[in-house]
Amino acid sequence: MPVETTTRRITIDPITRLEGHGKIEIFLDDDGQVERAYFQVPELRGFEKFAQGRPAEDMPQITSRICGVCPTAHHMAATRALDNLYQVTPPPAAQKIRELVFNTFMAEDHALHFYFLGGPDFVVGPQAPAAERNVLGVVARVGVETGKAVISMRRKLRELTTLAAGKTVHPVFGLPGGVAKPLTEADRQRFREVAAEAVDFAQFTLETFEKIVLENSDYGDLITGGVFTHRTHYMGMVDSNNQVNFYQGSLRVVTPEGKEVAKFAPEKYLDYIAEHVEPWSYMKFCYLKQPGWKGFMEGADSGVFAVAPLARLNVTEGMPTPLAQQAYEKYIKTLGKPVHHTLATHWARIIELIYATERMKQLADDPEITDPNVRTIPTATPREGVGVVEAPRGTLIHHYKTDERGLITAANLIVASQNNAARMSMSVEKAAKGLLSGREISEGLLNMVEMAFRAYDPCLGCATHSLPGSMPLSVRVRGRDGETLSMLVRDADGAIRRS
Amino acid sequence: MAARVRVLGLGNELLADDAVGILAARKVAERCPPEEVEVIASSESGLYLLEYVTDVARLIVIDSVQTGRTAPGTIHVVCEENVRAAPGSTPHGTGLFDALALARKLGYNVPKEVIILAVEAADCLTIGGEMHPGVAAAIPELVERVVRMSVN
Repeated sequence: MPVETTTRRITIDPITRLEGHGKIEIFLDDDGQVERAYFQVPELRGFEKFAQGRPAEDMPQITSRICGVCPTAHHMAATRALDNLYQVTPPPAAQKIRELVFNTFMAEDHALHFYFLGGPDFVVGPQAPAAERNVLGVVARVGVETGKAVISMRRKLRELTTLAAGKTVHPVFGLPGGVAKPLTEADRQRFREVAAEAVDFAQFTLETFEKIVLENSDYGDLITGGVFTHRTHYMGMVDSNNQVNFYQGSLRVVTPEGKEVAKFAPEKYLDYIAEHVEPWSYMKFCYLKQPGWKGFMEGADSGVFAVAPLARLNVTEGMPTPLAQQAYEKYIKTLGKPVHHTLATHWARIIELIYATERMKQLADDPEITDPNVRTIPTATPREGVGVVEAPRGTLIHHYKTDERGLITAANLIVASQNNAARMSMSVEKAAKGLLSGREISEGLLNMVEMAFRAYDPCLGCATHSLPGSMPLSVRVRGRDGETLSMLVRDADGAIRRS
Repeated sequence: MAARVRVLGLGNELLADDAVGILAARKVAERCPPEEVEVIASSESGLYLLEYVTDVARLIVIDSVQTGRTAPGTIHVVCEENVRAAPGSTPHGTGLFDALALARKLGYNVPKEVIILAVEAADCLTIGGEMHPGVAAAIPELVERVVRMSVN
């Protein structure tokens, strides 16, 4: 590891665990200037080995247990991979039920994220004291009634998932070729009611955002400020009209100028995406095979790309539903297209929230969704299957190979944060270069790093149990011989101490 | 009538030592009358825990912890205030405490008393990994203590 012996190193490290959670490494050169900075996310180990020899049909249940935040996304990507593995097309009603459940999950997650995870930056404000930049600060700003409305909406969306998908925490309805049970007429009516309410709630959320954020020039400056602006490629799933779809479609890639450079069926992903490994990190960085890995570089000649709401809105040609389209037009008019400002992700997330609720309504309004034919029984011999969904945090890929009995021989998962890993590191480096001077780490640097966390909202392996937004961080500046030059800690309650 | 006590086992069954909270909670459920003690095992995190921390008089949380300062299997018993003073003592820490704080702020019925039993873990990152012998050996004692706290 020559990089460690020849440069000075600063570590911003959460104090909660010995290994784990996000970790920021800042390397200084001999003059004390920032040379490189990296963002590392701990990865779960052993999935491939664990999966081997297990029946492929178990994967929707097993993988949904990997993550405490996104069980439905893993369940759905695994189920889609099983369709592909067994070469079956589910009946229309089954596809609609799955998409309905998935959009319900997306709406729930996006709403929770905007208010309570992104909220500390965008609702409470970047200038607010650290101690107020948490969920309590958000409630103080939006009011207890709004806080309650968010929780109540979430609860209703969750109950819907239980109606259609069984256990809420770990859905149990996805099967190769369809779903475990049809949707009853009574369930459909309940979906319609809650979807209508959710559409209103999403509009209310947009109004809240506009009032608090867009009418305040400080926020505008923050969003468009250069620190987290990167001109990279973007990837997301689209339907046949090149419009966003979370559940099925083709993966589309656009350049930093917004031009389509690739569009492919999910099972072809290995022809387009590869993983780059750095000696200093256990993390893999996804990049586009064309133009290839050119380092942590911006621009059309670099293979670095991004996923998640910001990327999806850069990839889509307009939104497929009317209210989302309206909101999207204002967004594009304000920021241009493609939007390269990472912090605009929060705005993009609300537009996706609107789309998810409108899409729920469309699907629930369709009487065909209660058709009892929800399963195509697989007959082909399984060999290999890929399933892709757009999870809240970006493109999620499941890939399985099996023997002829359907027992897993190889398995691979690419989660959203791996797709975003290179760009996340670039954000950290830019923040470090802009804000770090000398040995002392300022609160400003911590704030900026935390803001990046919240915008990308990385899937932190085991740390899916923790909220990135309130993650305690410590920053250590080390000299050439590893001696500590200074240290700064932010506790979970926002208090800062130096030692 | 709702149970007086809720035992909430947190963790992830797939992740070696992180399974400890879930496994212990299941054993507690076998030992306690359901009308008195409600047992929930969940691998959810953060504000997703909100429903589990409201509408009960007494809450006992079982979880894993990595302080790195004690041997794997050490049982730390802490009350909420202690954990706040030493932030992030559990891997689920910030999420659980944010959920509690938010529930209080919104005026939900939150238990006055929250007791956390956290077992020192060695590995919470290996899918399908084996549980550390020290952690596995701590489970009977852990269950015993939770049962005693719950039924008294």
